[in-house]
Amino acid sequence: MFRDYSISKKITWTNAIVSGAALLLACAAFIGYDVVSFRRAIVYNLSIQAQIAGSNAVSALLFDDQNSAEKTLSALQASPNIIRAGILTLDGRPFAAYSRDARPEIPALPRLVAGQPETYRFAGRTVLLVRAIEFQGKPTGLIFIQSDMEGLYARLRLYVGISTIVLAVSLLVALLISPIFQREISGPIKQLAEIARHVSLDKDYSVRAAPSNSRDEVSVLVDAFNNMLSQIQEREGALQKAHGELELRVQERTTELNNINKELEAFSYSVSHDLRAPLRAIDGFSQALLEDYGEQLDSAGQNHLQRVRLAAQRMSTLIDDLLNLSRVTRSEMRREKLDLSAVFRSIAEELQREQPSRKVDFVITDGLTVEGDSRLLRVAIENLVGNAWKYTSAHSCARIEFGLKQDNGRPAYFVRDDGAGFDQRYSDRLFGAFQRLHAMTEFPGTGIGLATVQRIIRRHGGEIWAEGAVEKGATFYFTL
Amino acid sequence: MKDTKAMKRFSPADFLSIPIRPHGSRRNFVSRALVIFFLLHSTYLPAQQTKAPESAVKATYLYNFSRFVQWPADAAAAKGDAFSICVLGEDPFGAVLDSILSGETIGGKPVMTKRVARSQDALDCRVLYISASEDGRLKEILAGLDKSGVLTVSDIPQFSQRGGMIQFVLVGNKLRFEVNLTNAQTAGLTLSSDLLKVAVAVRKSS
Repeated sequence: MFRDYSISKKITWTNAIVSGAALLLACAAFIGYDVVSFRRAIVYNLSIQAQIAGSNAVSALLFDDQNSAEKTLSALQASPNIIRAGILTLDGRPFAAYSRDARPEIPALPRLVAGQPETYRFAGRTVLLVRAIEFQGKPTGLIFIQSDMEGLYARLRLYVGISTIVLAVSLLVALLISPIFQREISGPIKQLAEIARHVSLDKDYSVRAAPSNSRDEVSVLVDAFNNMLSQIQEREGALQKAHGELELRVQERTTELNNINKELEAFSYSVSHDLRAPLRAIDGFSQALLEDYGEQLDSAGQNHLQRVRLAAQRMSTLIDDLLNLSRVTRSEMRREKLDLSAVFRSIAEELQREQPSRKVDFVITDGLTVEGDSRLLRVAIENLVGNAWKYTSAHSCARIEFGLKQDNGRPAYFVRDDGAGFDQRYSDRLFGAFQRLHAMTEFPGTGIGLATVQRIIRRHGGEIWAEGAVEKGATFYFTL
Repeated sequence: MKDTKAMKRFSPADFLSIPIRPHGSRRNFVSRALVIFFLLHSTYLPAQQTKAPESAVKATYLYNFSRFVQWPADAAAAKGDAFSICVLGEDPFGAVLDSILSGETIGGKPVMTKRVARSQDALDCRVLYISASEDGRLKEILAGLDKSGVLTVSDIPQFSQRGGMIQFVLVGNKLRFEVNLTNAQTAGLTLSSDLLKVAVAVRKSS
């Protein structure tokens, strides 16, 4: 509770508690001292009264004159605190008695040891003193006086009253005075705390704590705090500047790169496009040569021409694929709903129609709809299904699957085949342009298909990866 | 034997203010121990109804009177090293007086008891008890003592008005005394005010 108080409250309370404790201890010490000395004084006075009364009663004791002894004792009524007194003969018989309230009774007397002239005992709120009466060195009798301690209690009450008042007044004064000191101590700290909160909340490093006039630790703290703020402000400025510069540079580079990229794409497009015309000429004229002058050539010549044609056609496909690839990168995205399962099925049916001799079992999960560019996605599926179709061609009986599975909490579509497969070690090379894991004679292809698929998937914000093993088939996963 | 029998009839504690022996004596130790025993236990004997014989009380008083009287220096010197308490005439005390006073001292002087027949023999006495048997020759006896500093005590009626100093009287059944201060002063004796305080009467003329 105290822990949560503010500093000024803590200082106030500390002041109050410390001064209160000091006062209480001082009062307790005074009262304790006074009680002790007052009790001593009571005993001392009683002893004197006992001596006087005792020596005045000697002759009464010796001559058995109880009246005289009682007269002597009755002089004690001058002391209002004396409750009762009495004289006993040497053999312990009551001889004379005095009682303030006319109720003479003999209290239990403390023991008087040999050689001891007197003894006393504090009993309840009274003190009882017993003294031997001696006359000419001979024991003659015994006197006791019992006194109340009203004087002591009255004094104690007075002390407690005074202590309470002094305590209350001094606490009040402490509470009144402490704001003056607090202004010096807790004021700057409070201000510091306020500013620190402002700085940490609003990130405003321009504020400063007011320097204090004193030369204590608080002023050192304030100075250090202000210094720290200045340094932070400086660094913050430098950082902001560096950040701005960096951003600007990144922007510049991006623009530069974009420009280069565009130039490159434009270049490759025009090259591809321009390459087509000579190719067509090569193919066309080779065909014409074969048709018109085929008979004049022997079989080796015809074969060579056929090879020229095939190479020209292959190059044409290559150029088509390259154009496709650049189109995929450059074309605009149009997002719409698309039933991937239906797309897959139509492509499968097309392939089946083209090569009805092949026995391929298509397993397609229905109703897999996605949102994306339908043209691009169709190209991607075409490539994936075409791959699967191609790499299962060596098997008499094949199976191609299309479905959805959860991968790390996100839906991943997959195309699986049980064809030639690939070595998992080279899986990262699958998606590079012109990268091929199989010989051209084994499976024909340009090595651009999967690169195209990857670009399409990436343009949709998705990812593509592959799993496979040699002769165990391959699975291509993609997310969108 | 008669003495010890008398002793046995009343214990020392029965006497009021029994003179206790000076320090060091075995008897003194025992009686002190007895007193302390009573005090330690804070028990109070019921007021003793069996009163000590009058002669024992008187004997004790003779001793106690002496403790409140001051003798002039020259008279005290003339009376020698003993403190004599004398009985003139028919002795009413017997052994009680000796047994009570023996071993006591007053002012450092040992208390002696003495029986005398004539006042001339009593000149070195400090205290003289004049027996009731001497009523007839009282005037003569007192004249014989004159101013020799002898404290005279007697039971004789009107003793204090007839030139005596302290006279025993019975008040109720209690033994008390009258004092004639003038007679004491004439003999050079000073009586303590404490003594006069407990006297039944203090007379100032013969």
